Amino acid sequence: MLEKVLIANRGEIALRIHRACRDMGIKTVAVHSTADANAMNVRLADESVCIGPPPARDSYLNIPAILSAATITGADAIHPGIGFLSENADFAEVVLEHGFTFIGPKPEHIRVMGDKVQAKAAARELGIPTLPGSAGALRDMDTAIAAAREIGYPVLLKAVSGGGGRGMKLAHDEAGLRSLVPLAQAEAQAAFGDASVYLERFLDRPRHIEIQLLGDGRGGVVHLGERDCSLQRKHQKILEETPSPGLDPAARERLTATAVAALEKLGYQSAGTIEFLYRDGEFYFIEMNTRLQVEHPISEMISGIDIVREQLRIAAGETLGYRQSDIHLRGHAIECRINAENPDDFRPSPGRISEYHAPGGPGIRVDSGLYQGYTVPPYYDSLIAKLIIYGGDRAECLMRLRRALEEYVIGGIETTIPLHQRLGDNAEFQRGAYDIGWLERLLDRG
Amino acid sequence: MRLGGRPPLAPDPDLIRSLAKLLDETGLSEIEYAVGDQRIRVSRETKAAAVAAAVPPRPAEPAALNGANGHDTHSHDKTNGADNPGTLKAPLVGIAYLAGEPGSPPYVKVGDSVSEGQTLLIIEAMKVMNQIRAPRAGRVSRVYVGDAEPVEYGSALMLIE
Repeated sequence: MLEKVLIANRGEIALRIHRACRDMGIKTVAVHSTADANAMNVRLADESVCIGPPPARDSYLNIPAILSAATITGADAIHPGIGFLSENADFAEVVLEHGFTFIGPKPEHIRVMGDKVQAKAAARELGIPTLPGSAGALRDMDTAIAAAREIGYPVLLKAVSGGGGRGMKLAHDEAGLRSLVPLAQAEAQAAFGDASVYLERFLDRPRHIEIQLLGDGRGGVVHLGERDCSLQRKHQKILEETPSPGLDPAARERLTATAVAALEKLGYQSAGTIEFLYRDGEFYFIEMNTRLQVEHPISEMISGIDIVREQLRIAAGETLGYRQSDIHLRGHAIECRINAENPDDFRPSPGRISEYHAPGGPGIRVDSGLYQGYTVPPYYDSLIAKLIIYGGDRAECLMRLRRALEEYVIGGIETTIPLHQRLGDNAEFQRGAYDIGWLERLLDRG
Repeated sequence: MRLGGRPPLAPDPDLIRSLAKLLDETGLSEIEYAVGDQRIRVSRETKAAAVAAAVPPRPAEPAALNGANGHDTHSHDKTNGADNPGTLKAPLVGIAYLAGEPGSPPYVKVGDSVSEGQTLLIIEAMKVMNQIRAPRAGRVSRVYVGDAEPVEYGSALMLIE
């Protein structure tokens, strides 16, 4: 078993991992930038090491500093969390080379799924349907135009090294494609240091459905159902729920069976998620995230399985020890991502928390490092809290969601709580009648 | 930095004191005492009864054992210096070494005049020895770290006035 885990991350997810470790009697080491010296995960950790100045490239992305911190604290394993180095195959490799346990998948699986073009090819090989698209990175405009004709408009331009929706452009016709290719390349270059882009057929008004998976690398693979993450703004997820209100049991069965079979074939180890675009019973591979995901708690709520605990157990060499038939998915869960942002124009709103009161009561879980007097630093992601609501069914979950949001007090900064309240009161959302573009259309209407 | 203050890593001042006393009584020049993977060696090589960390079995050990080093030759003060403009701060995480190799004299000691660019200490990170040089000429008025002590980013190392 692991004795001391270094958590190479910050914010609520670092705290989430700390909690799983402490629940298992594992000691924790927090690494942090100078901007996060007072963060809750740092205060609660058994040990802490400052690894650099605020910019992430000098601290949370600073591989030598993180490995030095692991060495001087005598940690035996490193959990990369979400974002930062979590999908960096080179980091996973160097962690292993230095004799530490990497709490995550095998480096080769991170590598193949981290490259969009390779990942799509791998998905096809693993039996997952993929959207028609260009065979690889587009060499020039002529290739792009020829590929788009074959795929059929509208087409989506995507960055090969991309993620989080950046660098994506939608072309409705050839003229649009001509003007957007250079733009997408420039954006990809600026965001990821790699200008290569590729094309994919654009599916109108699909849902974003993803399957949460756990593999032990020794033949054991289970799923914890799906998550519907269609409520997005600029390709960033805002609210997620499980089960999806737009998936019938037969489609769910096909999706989960496809995902499980793929990971069995891959010999996947640790937690992972396969994301799909879904519409009218058809589903297509978007990408696989070879890491924990922000919205993992809703799957924990309906399955009773602590996903981070499973990651730690699997990294320590244990097998799952249960089968799919042992897992019973019950009830309904929703996660509201609370960001330090203006709820209307989404301008970041860092600053000092003057008052803090978290909601509680039946079915409520809050994953957050916030406390009264804490200052949200301006350097990082704006996610400051996750409100996770459980109910016996969707109706109960929605009632509790509205009640919990009423209770939640975060003073001193602006947050997206009012946006979630607006969603909770919206009749279409209550009916579950939404798709990937629904939230942006709602926001555009004002 | 907050490192684990769990019992196996904490020095035992009483034990060290009794070993030092034993040294005087017996006329021995050195006593080495080991419990589990922790070793304490007391020797009379230097004027004060030097208590040195011996072969740390884990890299985390020097930090803890150095806690017993409160009476070494440099003035060793962690509570001060962070805000002084003359404070030299650690540019990276690692283990600080005040001398080029074990047993050799330290690069600098309190009172030394140093010139700009002169090596003051080494921080080992990922098996690479990083020389930490004087940013400007001056006089070393404080040394905040002990030899073989872990330092984090921004730790006060020395005061150069």
